[in-house]
Amino acid sequence: MLALRLARGTHPLVLLRRLFVAAASAGVGFLLLCTLGHALSHPGQTSASLLRLLWCLAPLAATVQFAVAVARTDPSTRPRPGLSAVGLGPARLAATAAASTALSCTLGSMVALLVFLHLRGDLTGLPFDRAGTELLAADRPLPLAAVVILLSLAPLTASTASAWVLRPRGGTRGRRPVAPRGDGVRDTPAPPPASSTPHTTGTATLAPPTPLAASLVTSPPAGLPWGVALTAAGLAVETYASRGGGSGRVLPLPGHADLAPAGVLAGWSLTALGLALAGPGLVHLCGFLLQAVRPGAVRLLAGRVLQGEAGRIGRPLGVVCATASGLIAATTLYSRAPGPSFGPLTALGAALVLVCTTATLILVALETKQARTATTRALLRQGAAAQTLRAAALTRLVALITLFAPVTWALATLAAAPLAP
Amino acid sequence: MVVPPDNAPPDNDVLWARSLHHAHEGSPALVDVSLAVREGEILAVTGPRGSGKTTLLNCLSGHLVPDDGEVWFNSVPVHTMGALTRERLRRDRFAWISSSPDLVPELTAWENTALPLLLRGEGHKAAKATAVEWLERLDIGAVARKRPAALLQAQRQRVAIARALATAPSVLFADEPTAPLHRSDAAQVLRTLTTAARSHSLTVVLATHDPEVAALADRAVPLLDGRRAASAPVAGTEGRAACSLSA
Repeated sequence: MLALRLARGTHPLVLLRRLFVAAASAGVGFLLLCTLGHALSHPGQTSASLLRLLWCLAPLAATVQFAVAVARTDPSTRPRPGLSAVGLGPARLAATAAASTALSCTLGSMVALLVFLHLRGDLTGLPFDRAGTELLAADRPLPLAAVVILLSLAPLTASTASAWVLRPRGGTRGRRPVAPRGDGVRDTPAPPPASSTPHTTGTATLAPPTPLAASLVTSPPAGLPWGVALTAAGLAVETYASRGGGSGRVLPLPGHADLAPAGVLAGWSLTALGLALAGPGLVHLCGFLLQAVRPGAVRLLAGRVLQGEAGRIGRPLGVVCATASGLIAATTLYSRAPGPSFGPLTALGAALVLVCTTATLILVALETKQARTATTRALLRQGAAAQTLRAAALTRLVALITLFAPVTWALATLAAAPLAP
Repeated sequence: MVVPPDNAPPDNDVLWARSLHHAHEGSPALVDVSLAVREGEILAVTGPRGSGKTTLLNCLSGHLVPDDGEVWFNSVPVHTMGALTRERLRRDRFAWISSSPDLVPELTAWENTALPLLLRGEGHKAAKATAVEWLERLDIGAVARKRPAALLQAQRQRVAIARALATAPSVLFADEPTAPLHRSDAAQVLRTLTTAARSHSLTVVLATHDPEVAALADRAVPLLDGRRAASAPVAGTEGRAACSLSA
């Protein structure tokens, strides 16, 4: 109830963000239900259905990452000094955030179910009735348990992840500073690559910074060697798996699910994971280069801020890079592969992943800006012109694009090269 | 006050304000405050919390445009300036020390000190030399290469003072500069500030609620509930308690 009441009073833009979460969750739910439809109508092709289900993991992970980013930047879940005294402390706020995430995701799942049933022809009276009869196995009854499990996947994962990320930590020392300051970077080493896709790893490590970490800018993030090694290993695995050529051994894209060299998929996942891990290191390097050799005010501010915020902004940036390079490679392959081009479901999945990762990056940038409000105010007090600060921000943006665009392009080319027929 | 509005203030006042009114979104903060700051003096603006000291300093330094009233700096009207001109005026002629150090966490102590100089467009080398010189003058040259997170609060506040002094401003605004410090640190910081101001003949406008701090100034302007109180010490429990402590 508290989550609902807080949601009622929030700013329309914040509500719009939650609506986007609901939309992403609806997209994922619909994709999962379509997989169910495929499995129902093709009971013989177990491996093809499984492959479709596996491809659904990428949009799911992107949605979860986005939902967590929204929960983290939500103003109503920020600790408030006054409300902590009346019992609305960090733990309660984390629960509230999880509840509101679950609420928006469930809303999305419901919409997905309605659209699915409508397209199957179970609900009538609207345009596009029974538009997808064959695709969605309209002639067979839906197994209720499967539908419930698939639809609860997004809300459960997203709310668990946001509760985990926002959980109060640190015992007696306050974990989240009341006035968030941008001077902390998580100096924990990069986590072992335990999860199946890079996106989930990205969410799990998107923890808020600890206040006043002493070793903030001096030590670069530890993930760079790991990231580079994983990217290289991914490319190697992919090249190895696709050796031998042959027209039959191209990538198992969702529309062409007849063949399944799992090595290529594993290689791509490893590459993406490596990029996500290398992101903070690359951003830090970018900042270092920017402020090197007798910087003026703009270069000094831009470079040091990049170095300081590398841990926060690097990971989503790496994920966006991985997504972009994957999409570029897939587009190249689709354009060369024989047979039909990609269908509406593949397009939906790809759009979902791209939009979610990009939106997450934008939200994290917003969070960084919010965390630096105090510093910005202090700088303005010292007489820094707003123009100077804007120039510094622009410099950061240009530097990041200069570094990451070639990396993305090179990785996409390398990933597509061994698969070219 | 019967001065006609177009009259420029007297020439020996570096900063001059007439019948300032300001309200923060409706709640009145300053009501008809006038004052003049003479060249090279240390002026204390005293009063309890919520008496409008910070708002007055903000209006004087051009951060806020008062709802009504005039502010003149060296016979130039500040209240009619555009935002960009005020920004430039603040950068080139004013300096500000607030109660929290407000350092940029990513920059080292000397870089923080040199930042206003760099913002003014000075060269890297000259700015560094000036910054390091000021840090050494304030006894914190040893930590010049450390970041604010690695410093003690008193050291951070001194870096903030060095940053304000390094630009050789015409007017230095200090808003409760000793609020977060223990008494020994506070006394040291204040001594540093006043000594530097006197030796470089800076004009200082110092907001404080502490009569001991105000005693270091040449002149005090008491504020109460957003109005200029009579020049006599502030009556009330807080004033009495402070008086008995200082006696």
